[in-house]
Formats: sequence, structure tokens, C-alpha cells
Amino acid sequence: MKKYLFLISIFFLSCQEEITLELPSGGDKLVVQASIENGFPPYVILTKNQGYFDPIDVNTYNDLFVSNVDEMKIWYTNEEGLIIDSKDLELFPIELSELFTGQQLPIYTVTDLDSSNINDYKFSESGRKYFLEIKWNNQVITSETTIPNPTPLDCLWVEQSETAENDWKCDIRAIYSDPANEQNNILIKSKRIQHFNFNKDSCLSKSQPDLQLKLVDAGSDILINGESFETYFPRPGDNGFPTGKYNSKREKECDNGYIVDIEEDVVLIKFCQIDEPSMKFWRGLVRQAGTNGNPFAEPMNLTSNINGGLGVFTGYGAVYYTVPILKDTTLTKQRETTIFDIF
Amino acid sequence: MKKIYLAFLFIYISFNCLAQQKYTISGFVQDQSSGENLIGVSIYDQKTYKGTASNQYGFYSLTMEEGNYIVIYSFIGYKSITKNITLNKDIRLNISLSNNSIITEEVIVTGEKLDKNVSSSNMSQARIEVNNIKQLPVILGEVDILKSAQLLPGIQSGGEGNSGLYVRGGGPDQNLILLDEAVVYNAAHLFGFFSVFNADAIKDINIIKGGMPAEYGGRLSSVLDITMKDGNNKEYEADGGIGLLSSRLTVQGPVQKEKSSFIISGRRTYIDVLSKPFMPEDNAFSGSGYYFYDLTTKINYRISDKDRLYLSGYFGRDVFNFSNTDNGIGIEIPWGNATTSLRWNHLFNDKLFVNTSLIFSDYRFEFNINQQDFELKIFSGINDWNTKVDFLYQPNQRHTIKFGLNYTYHEFTPGNASGRSGDVVFEPDEIFKQYSNEGAFYFSDDFDVNDDLKIHAGLRYSSFQHSGYISFRDYLKNDLTESDDNYRHIEPRLSFRYRLSTTSSIKGAYTQNYQYIHLASTSSVSLPTDLWIPSSAVIKPKFSDQYALGYFKNLNDNIYETSIEAYYKEMTNLLEYKEGVLPEDNTNSSSDDSFAFGDGDSYGVELLLKKNKGKTTGWIGYTLSKTTRYFDEVNEGISFPAKYDRRHDLSITATHKLSKKWTLSSVFVYSTGNAITLPTERYLIGENIYTEYTSRNGYRMDPYHRLDIGATYIPKKNKKFQSSWNFSIYNVYSRKNPYFIYFALESEEGEDGSIQQGNLTPKAYQVSIFPILPSITWNFNF
Repeated sequence: MKKYLFLISIFFLSCQEEITLELPSGGDKLVVQASIENGFPPYVILTKNQGYFDPIDVNTYNDLFVSNVDEMKIWYTNEEGLIIDSKDLELFPIELSELFTGQQLPIYTVTDLDSSNINDYKFSESGRKYFLEIKWNNQVITSETTIPNPTPLDCLWVEQSETAENDWKCDIRAIYSDPANEQNNILIKSKRIQHFNFNKDSCLSKSQPDLQLKLVDAGSDILINGESFETYFPRPGDNGFPTGKYNSKREKECDNGYIVDIEEDVVLIKFCQIDEPSMKFWRGLVRQAGTNGNPFAEPMNLTSNINGGLGVFTGYGAVYYTVPILKDTTLTKQRETTIFDIF
Repeated sequence: MKKIYLAFLFIYISFNCLAQQKYTISGFVQDQSSGENLIGVSIYDQKTYKGTASNQYGFYSLTMEEGNYIVIYSFIGYKSITKNITLNKDIRLNISLSNNSIITEEVIVTGEKLDKNVSSSNMSQARIEVNNIKQLPVILGEVDILKSAQLLPGIQSGGEGNSGLYVRGGGPDQNLILLDEAVVYNAAHLFGFFSVFNADAIKDINIIKGGMPAEYGGRLSSVLDITMKDGNNKEYEADGGIGLLSSRLTVQGPVQKEKSSFIISGRRTYIDVLSKPFMPEDNAFSGSGYYFYDLTTKINYRISDKDRLYLSGYFGRDVFNFSNTDNGIGIEIPWGNATTSLRWNHLFNDKLFVNTSLIFSDYRFEFNINQQDFELKIFSGINDWNTKVDFLYQPNQRHTIKFGLNYTYHEFTPGNASGRSGDVVFEPDEIFKQYSNEGAFYFSDDFDVNDDLKIHAGLRYSSFQHSGYISFRDYLKNDLTESDDNYRHIEPRLSFRYRLSTTSSIKGAYTQNYQYIHLASTSSVSLPTDLWIPSSAVIKPKFSDQYALGYFKNLNDNIYETSIEAYYKEMTNLLEYKEGVLPEDNTNSSSDDSFAFGDGDSYGVELLLKKNKGKTTGWIGYTLSKTTRYFDEVNEGISFPAKYDRRHDLSITATHKLSKKWTLSSVFVYSTGNAITLPTERYLIGENIYTEYTSRNGYRMDPYHRLDIGATYIPKKNKKFQSSWNFSIYNVYSRKNPYFIYFALESEEGEDGSIQQGNLTPKAYQVSIFPILPSITWNFNF
């Protein structure tokens, strides 16, 4: 048998073109980002949804934030359902909000804050279930959440990334021992509280810390229940999908030959236990960021625990760590947390 | 409902009593050159036109009153044989038909008896002969029987290049796909672009999209019954082909001449091999690639004139590898089917034929990922152990009776995971599996009430027992640790043909079907990640009622075949994942609580105009239909179009025999755009933007249409060697058919943007994947 072999390259010549779509709008919905954490006052940031193709500019961005709720309160009950304590939430002075979030945002929080309780707010305790009610635009929006007991990490350390091209790129790794015989839902957020960018033209390094905590990952302990295991915390990317590395101290050479020392990143890790409805929301967030543009993925709305709106009300059983990106540094000590850390 | 069954039984008994039994001619019909059994050969009395057809194993039985007859054995594409028979005793007559397709000037489209369209009681059925679809233009030179099936009215594709079948509003899991009677759970290679069936190893494809006979069950919408070739039992033969995407080779021949034969056929893609030279080893993605292969094999042995054994098997795997050394990620995703069928045909006498089968089916999917010292393995699958006995009894010319029983033991592995992080290994205590028993008895009769009225009446009694999370050993020991979920149902199957004239008839059908296993999918197309799950106390069996009515007319001495069929189908207990639920929520556990349940309906009209004979043959098929879903927990309880709802679906195929060497062909398809879900709103969480989808499947993509042309050139045959060239151009006018739409928030070119800076612009893009694509395939046979 005589055989002929044809080797011809195959080209899948896919192409794309911009199209114009007219999509119906679903109407105004309140987007709730509500948080309550052991030892800290609850706070709520409210925004509105937009039509998908509505313009985005500075004005529309500012108009997204909602600061005109009629009433907002948060409370917890005893086992019989009787209200034990209830707090009204009102707008925090907007000019002060920049101290916490890096930008002037309308933040609703409790009204009885002072220097004695802002970092030790007894109302918020692990193990309690909290209820939230917002009256806005003739709508009543409600939600509930629980603050689980926090579980610390065994230890964290910094090591040079095995996969990055530069030897100053590092990973934060950790060992976590999952409590056995109970379902735990874990959420990790981080932000670089110290971070410098290098500008080659000006031959300067510029401080650009993250303004707010960003989501690293969320999930349940289905696979790891009762296990002690090693994990790592990638840096959240700009699109919400965590894949990045952290920078250790390095030198950069300018065009004029000067060498500039650039300080290492210092990372705040927030390691939390959350309840299951909250976990589903946060995990969906990671999933949506990861599947955006995937033609095979069924479109998926985020699972909200807000009745009558979008977003999430999360109770955080949180522990914090400060991780300077110094190679081969190991730490076990938790950070002494202040109100500035929780945003 | 009981009254219907009683009336049904009464009618049957009444007509059966009228029947008379005389003498029988029976035997097998085979291809003269290869010894292959021929399916669907018409055997009839020339005078009365009454007759029968050979079954899946080539067996026929024709009983008539004593007398002299001229019996014709007719099979399109073969020379007819006429036999003068004096029928005064039972006669065994094996017939060999010679293929005349090489010498004829005509191109044959189907292997049916010419007036079968009008005379048969079956409706909503089609038989495809592989040799004919090989002449149609195909994408990248890959002959694909499922894509050819999509050209029939009532059968829709899942989108550009997709080989999934969507029949009369049913989902991809509602098709019973059988390969030599073994269930094939995922019939797609390359994420749906190609089917798993190697056309070189396939003899016959019978498609049933409505009026499902009682011997079939377990699915709501359709049956795709595929029969492998038996293998040439007279001489050794090799066929093969070299295409752009894959190559294939088939070898067949006698083990013991005219007594036993084998066929073995293999196919493999070489995208991975071809791309290797273009990917240097230091490239971050070196080691990434994709390939699929499949192997089909069969051996048969004629023990005696009354007993035959068949052993056939299929094994196919897709393997996708992804490697990125930049971030140390390695991914391997293998998936595929394996089937084995052992069948024994036995002829009790001239009127009673039995087939006994032992069948194993397996489908498995794995996803393995590793990054540095972290490893994760997700795996799922289903395997079946199936035994069945099917009787065919033809007591006289008026009746063709089928009855039998079928038992399947299902083992589901719906979704399991294990992993390792450093030295710590995560293994579930026990792999989560579910087990179930599915059984059925059936009885049907295809009988002529009189010369004009023919009725097919059948009943299928099906049962399903979900044994929950227990092992088979526990089950045998009767140690049921969880409560059973038992379902038992009677499924009536009824169809009729009333002949209006020798060239026209009306037909109707009513069927009920239950489906006990379900495909859970988070995707808009059928993917290997989809999970097969059993009915349980929570997940009820799917159910459908289907009504169909049609008018069939043949013209110009059966050269033209026309039909119009209307159907209405109702479906209940359909399932979808609840909104926001992810498959990994149920890793290593039951997924029963993850689903929302709802109903659906579909109705439509299907038109077919087909030309069977002449230099130019082909068909025009058109479907006007609507398919809707109703789920309380999906789309805020508002009804929505199914994702495969198409208002219009048109297919035109034509083949023209230009000369002995050249055959030209073309295919044109048009369909309403896919129904898709698009984001209508966006909102801010933290510093990132997320989208909100409303109105499930509420947007239509642009209509899909394309024209393909092809040519087959057959050079002069050498003494032993025959080759042919197939030239195809897919999407001749390079229509940019929408494959998917995606959204992006973009800043001005070159600028980093953010919502806070207000410099983002929302944009939508439509992606098309196959522009004009020429291809060439060389086929050979010796």
C-alpha cells in the first residue's frame, strides 16, 4: 500500500466585530455592600445599578452612589427572636470617609461612634445573627447574616515565586488547619498598604497603595474539612480575578544610569469565616470575573442575600495579618486591627 | 387512561383474530461483495405489493397464503432480484444483492423502499446511508453523520459547527444515541465540533424523531440508532482517508470465509502534531495541545444458519492539555466513551427471531490541574451494564410483532474531587456514586387492518429504582441504607397510516415517553463537563406527550417524495441548575437540591421535498417551530424560549452526478438566530463592575445561514486500488455567522481605564469562527 502524507496547517480564522445592541433596562435596583465584623461597627455602602450600555463618566460614577435612604437599621435577636439591640445607621461625614476608603464615599454607619468604641464595638460579636432593613424609594430592602467564629492561620510566609520571570516577584503562602466536623466558608481579602510604582521617565518611585481591600478568593471547606494544608494567596487582579504576584524590595535603573531602590510591598491579609449565603455571593464574584467572555459559560447572576436588591450583607469573623514582602519571612502573629483596616 | 389501554388491547385482539397464517419465506439479505447484512431491504409480492423489510440484522420473514408468487428483493443502490416462488411449504431463502452504485448514472439518496414514505406506518423517521452523506460538502473534510442528520427537518444544530442534536424542542440529553445498541452518552469530539462516529465504520443510521416504537425508551425526543458494519466476510479490504484535521484507516476481512469476519477502524486528529513545530520548547505554552482518537471494532461469527454472534466495541478519547510555564499551571482534560456489545441472533423458526444482547457503556470525564505543589482532580462519569432480549415475530403478512425486555444497571459518578497540597492529600472517604436499576418490557404490533389502514400499536412498561448512595454489593445483599425511589410507568406508542391512494397517505402518531436519567449542564452547549444524574425522590422522571399528524405524497413514480408533518410536544419535570448554583457545590455529594424543575412545550410544522432518483438528487427541509420553557424558579417564573428554539430552519441539499468521475454537491442552511441571555445591567462591588442578566434567552442573535459546495472525483479504478478526492468549500460566501457575543468595558486606546476615572466605554462584540474554509480529503480503498 502506497501512502501519501499531507501535512497542511489548519487555521481557524475566527473574527470579531463590534455590534450595537439595544437592551432593555430592568429598572433601578439598590446595590448593597453591607458589612459587620467582630469588634467593629457595621457599615453600608449603597449604589444603584445602571443599564449595561449607559455611559460611564465621572458624573455617572458619582450618581451611582445612594445617599438618600429614608431609614436604615440593623439589629440582632435572642434565640426566641426578641430584639436585643438595634442601631440606626446614618451617613458618615463624607469628607471623613476618605480616611478609610481613600475616596469620598457616602458610607452609612452607626451614630454612636467615638474614640472609645470605634475599634472595640461591642454590638458586633461572633456567633450572632444580624438583620438589616433599608427603606429607600418606597421600597423595603432586607437581609440577614451571621458573624461566624474566626479561625486563625497557623502561619504565613513569603517566598520567591517559582513561576515569575523576576526574582523579586513573590508569593504569600500559608498553612491553615480547618476545624473538623463543621462546614466552614472562607473568604480572603487583601490590599497592599505599602506599594510603590516605578516611573522610568521621572526616575522616581511613587507610592500607590491599594485604596480598599480586594477579594482574593472565597469557598467552602468541602474538600479540606478537618485538614491542615498549605495554600497561597495570589494578588487580586484589576478585573477581580486573583492571579498576581507581590513585589519584594528591588533596584531599578533609570535611563541616566541612576539606581533607585524601591521598597517592598506590605500586604494586609484579611482571613475570614463567613456564612454560606455570603460565601456564594463572593465565590460567584470570582467566577463571574473568570468566565467573562467565555462562550460556553451560561450567564450567571450573582447570588445575593439581599431581598429586594442586589449585593451582599456579610458578617465577617475575621483575623488580620500584616505581611511585608521579605523573602523567607515567616509570621504567625495577628495584626492589631483598627477601623482603617476593615475597608 | 386505563380505558385507552383496554380499547387499545381490544382493537389489537380483534384484528389479530382476523389474521390467517400460511407459509413463510424467510432468510437473510446481504451484500454480495462483502457479505454485509443489509438493513431495510424491501421484500414484496409483485402482484399485491404486500411485503416486509429486513431488520437490523438483515433477517426477513414473509408469510403468505399458498400459491405462486413473484417476490422482489429491492434495495436502492442495489440491483433488484426477482424470484419465482411456489409457496407450498416454508422456505428458507438467503439472498445476496449486488451493489450497482458504481455502474449507475444515478446517485441514490436513501436506502428505503421507494414508496416507503407513503406505505409505512412509521412517521417522523429517516434512514441515512453513509455512502451518500460522504458526497456532501463537509467542514475541514470531516464526514460527520450527526451534522448530516441536522439537515433533516425537525432536527436542529446547537450552533456553528456543533454536532449536537436538538429534536423537536428537546435538549441534547433527550436523544437516545445507540451504537450497535450501546448507549453513547457524549457523542461529540472537540467540544461538540465533531461527532464521535467514524463514518467508515458505520453501515446504517436510523433516526426517529417522533412516533418512537415501543422497543425504544428512556429518552423523550429521539432515537439515533447506528449500526456498525459487520466486516467483509469474503475478502480483505482496507479503506482510509487523509484529511486536513485527521486521518483514518479501516481494515476488514474474513476470519473464516463467509462464516466470520472482522472490522477495525481508527481515526486520530493531528492538530497537536502539526502545531508542534510552530511552538518552540521555550515557549510558555509549550506542551499545550489537543487531540482526539477513536477506535471502532467488530467481529461476527455465524455459528449456524440459525445462530450468529456479534461482538463490537468503541473506544474514543479527547485529550486537551494546557501548560503555561509563566505561572506554572498544567491542565489535562481527558474524556470519552467506551462501549462493548455482545449480541446473539437466534432464529427459532421462520417466523420468530430473537436477539439477546449484553452491553457495557462507559463515559468519563476528568479535569486535572496542577500548579507548583498543588494538584486537583475532578472526575465524573456514568457506566451502564445492560442486558436485553428482543423478539421479532411475523406470524403472517399482516402482522409484525415485537416484544422484549431490557434491564440496565446504572452507576453514576456525578462529581468527585481529590487533591493534594504539598504533602497533604485530600481524598474523599469514599468516591460518591449513585446506583440505579432501569428496566422495561414492551410489546408492539405493526399490522395491516386492511389495504388502506395500517396501525402500529405498542406499550412499554418501564421502571426505575434509584438505590441512592450504596454500593452494588450492598444492593445485592439487600442492605439498602437509604430509601429507594421507585418509578413505574406505562408508555403507550400508537401510530397509523391511512392510504388515500397508491401515492399518498395520512399518518398520525401519539407517544408517551419517560426519561429517568438527566444531563445537568451549566453551559449553553453540550460539554464534557455536563453531569449525568439519576432520578431520585427529588428529581422526578422527565415525561413527554407527543402528537403528530402528517400528509405524505409521492410524485412522478416515487421519484419525488413530499411530506408535511405537524407536531405538538409537552414535556414535564425538565431540570436546570438553580440560578447561582455551581456544579462544585455538590462535589462529593448529591446534587439533588441544586436544580429547578419546570415544563416545556414545542410545536411546529415540518416540510420535506425529496428527490430520490436521477442525476440530481437531494432534499429541501423546512421547519417552523416554537419551543418554550416554564420554570417557577428561573427567569422570575416567566416563560422563556428554550436555548435551541428556532422559528425557522431551512436546509437544502443537492447532489449532481456530472459524470462517472465527478459528482457535485451543495448544502444551504438558514435558521433563526440562537436565543441567548445578555446582560442588561451592571453594578459596582468594591472597585469592580459586575453584570446582571435578565430575561433568560431573551435576545436573538442574527440569523444563521451559509452555503457549502463540494465535488467528489473518482479516478479510474486500478485492478485493486480505488481512490477518490473530496473537495469542499464550507461557507462559500464567508458569512460571518454569530458564534457568541461578549462584552467589554474599554478605555480609549492605550489608556488604562477605570470606572472611577469615568473613561470606560461599554462595547459588545460578535465573534464568528468559520469564514470560507476550503478543504480536501483523499480517500482510498483496496
